[in-house]
Amino acid sequence: MKKLYHTILPYILILPNILIYAVFVLLPLVWVFYLSFTEYSVISPAKWIGLGNYKAMLSDSIFQKAMMNTMLYWVGTIIPIMFIGLIVAVLLNSKVRGMAAFRAAVYLPGIISSVAVALTWLWLLNPTQGPINMFLELLGFNTLDWLQNTKTALPAVMVVGAWTGIGFAMIIYLSGLQGISDQLYEAASIDGASAVRQFFAITIPMLKPVTFFLLVTVTIRSFQVFDLVYVLTGGGPVNSTTTIVNEVFKAGFQEYKMGYASSLAIILLLITMLITLVNYRYGSKQDV
Amino acid sequence: MKLQQNSLKRSVIYAVLILIAVAMIMPLLIMIFTSLKGDAEFASEVKTFLPKEWKFSNYILALQATNWAVYFKNSFIVTVIAVAGSLFFNTLSGYSFARLKFKGRDMIFICLLLGLMVPAQVTIIPQFMIMKSIPFFGGNDIWGNGGNGWLDTYASLIIPELSGAFGIFFARQFYLSFPKELDEAAEIDGCGILMRYFKIYLPMSGPIIASLGILKTVAVWNDFFHPLVFTTKEAMRTVQLGLSVFQGQYSVAYNLQMAATMVVSLPLIIMFFVFQKHFVQSLLSSSVKG
Repeated sequence: MKKLYHTILPYILILPNILIYAVFVLLPLVWVFYLSFTEYSVISPAKWIGLGNYKAMLSDSIFQKAMMNTMLYWVGTIIPIMFIGLIVAVLLNSKVRGMAAFRAAVYLPGIISSVAVALTWLWLLNPTQGPINMFLELLGFNTLDWLQNTKTALPAVMVVGAWTGIGFAMIIYLSGLQGISDQLYEAASIDGASAVRQFFAITIPMLKPVTFFLLVTVTIRSFQVFDLVYVLTGGGPVNSTTTIVNEVFKAGFQEYKMGYASSLAIILLLITMLITLVNYRYGSKQDV
Repeated sequence: MKLQQNSLKRSVIYAVLILIAVAMIMPLLIMIFTSLKGDAEFASEVKTFLPKEWKFSNYILALQATNWAVYFKNSFIVTVIAVAGSLFFNTLSGYSFARLKFKGRDMIFICLLLGLMVPAQVTIIPQFMIMKSIPFFGGNDIWGNGGNGWLDTYASLIIPELSGAFGIFFARQFYLSFPKELDEAAEIDGCGILMRYFKIYLPMSGPIIASLGILKTVAVWNDFFHPLVFTTKEAMRTVQLGLSVFQGQYSVAYNLQMAATMVVSLPLIIMFFVFQKHFVQSLLSSSVKG
C-alpha cells in the first residue's frame, strides 16, 4: 500500500499543472494545426481544404501588409530599445547617485498595461488638443494627425512600443554589466586604454550573451504585438498598422474565419520557433 | 587637471541620464496632470503643463462614470486566485520534477518545456473553442454542446493561468540547487514526500515566490487579450477591458480618461515602488537559462 502511494504520489502532485497544460496548451497546439487546413466558421463543421488557407495567404495583400508592418515594428522598436537600454545601463553602472530613482523612471513605462499606455499616448498624440501637437505648434511646426495618417501611424506605434520596452533592456544590461569584473577595467586603465576603447574592447564583448538574450526575447515579443495596435489604431488607417496577431484576431473573432485565422497563427508559431532554434543553436554556447 | 576632467565627465553622465529619465517619465506626468485638469481648461486657448486648478474630483467623476467597482472586483479576484494558485501548483510540480523519481519524468518535463516556445496568441482560437465546449458548464451538455461553457466566467480567465511552463521550469531549477542531504536527513526523521514540500521546500521558496508572484501579477492584471476574447458580458469585464471600453464611451473627456488610466495603473505602480528590488530580481530571473 505504502509502495503504491509512493509510486503514484509524484504524478498526483504534477497532475493539476499537467492537466491544464494538456487541455489549454498541447491540445490547442495540435488543434490549431488541424484547423489551419480547414475552412471553419463556427456555425458549420470544419471542412478540410488542404493547403487552401496557406495559398489564400499568398494572395492576401492585407496579410502581406501585416507581415511587413510586424517586421518594420520589430526593427523600429528593437533598435531604440537595445541602444537606449544599453546607454542608460552603462551610465547607471558608473556609480551614479540616485541610481534607484533613474532606474525607476526608465522602467516605470514597462509595468503599465498596454491599454493604459495606449490611452496615455492617444491623448499625447491627439490631433487637436494633444500635448505633442501643442508643443510643435508652439515651436512653429506643422501639426499632424499622427495615428490617422498612413505615413506616421506605424512609426507612432513604434515609438510607443519602444517607450515601454527600454526599461526591460536596461535592467537586463545593468545586471550583465555588474557581472563584469572591475579588474578587467583596472588592467586596461593601467595599459592606458581610454574609456571609449575600454567600452568597445571589454564592455561590448563581455555583454555578448546578454545582448543575444535580449535580441531573442525582444524579437519574440515584438512579433506578438497586438494590444497596443488594437487600442491605438485598430490596425488602421487603411491597414497601415495591422500586425500578424491583429489579423489573427480579426479573422478569428470578427470575421469568424477560424480556419484562416489558425493558418495565420501557425505562421506566428513558425517565426517564433525559428527564433528559438537560432537561440538554441547559437545562444547555448555562451554562458550568461 | 585630471580631477576637472573627471567632474566634467560626471556632469555629462548626469545630464544624459536626466534627459533620458525625463523623456521616459514625461508621458506619465502629462497623464497625471491631465487627469487633474478641469473641463474649462480644455476649452481655453492657453494650455499649461500643470493644471491651473487641481481637480481631484475628476477621479470621483471617472470612477462614477461606469461600473469600475465590478471591473476592479473581477480583476482582483482573477489576479489573486491565478497568482496564488499558480504559485502553489508550479512550486509543487517543480519540487516533483526536481526531487522525486518517477517513470517518464524527463519526457513529461521536456513536453512542458515545449510550451515555453508557444506564444499565447497561437493557441487562442482552439482555446476559445475549448472554453466554449467545457461539458456541463454554461448550459453545455455532456458533449460540450448547446451552451457557452466557461466563456464569460472567472474560470476562463483563471484556469489557464494556473499552469505555466516557465513557473515549473523556474521552480525546478531553484529546487535543484538545494543540497540532496536535506532530503536524506528529512527522510531519516520520517518526513514523507508531502511533508518535505510543506515543511522544507515551500518555506524556503521565498525568492522564487517573490519573483514568480510579481511576474504573474503583472501579467494577469495587465492582460487584455484573454479577457477580450473570453468575455463579452459587462459583469465579467476586467479593468483593462473596462478601460478600453471607457475610452470609447468618453472619447472626448480626456481628463476623465487619464484619471481612469491612472487608477487602473496605480496598484502595480504602488507595488513596483514597494517591491522595487524584487521587481528587478523577477526580471532577471526571467533571463536565467537552463
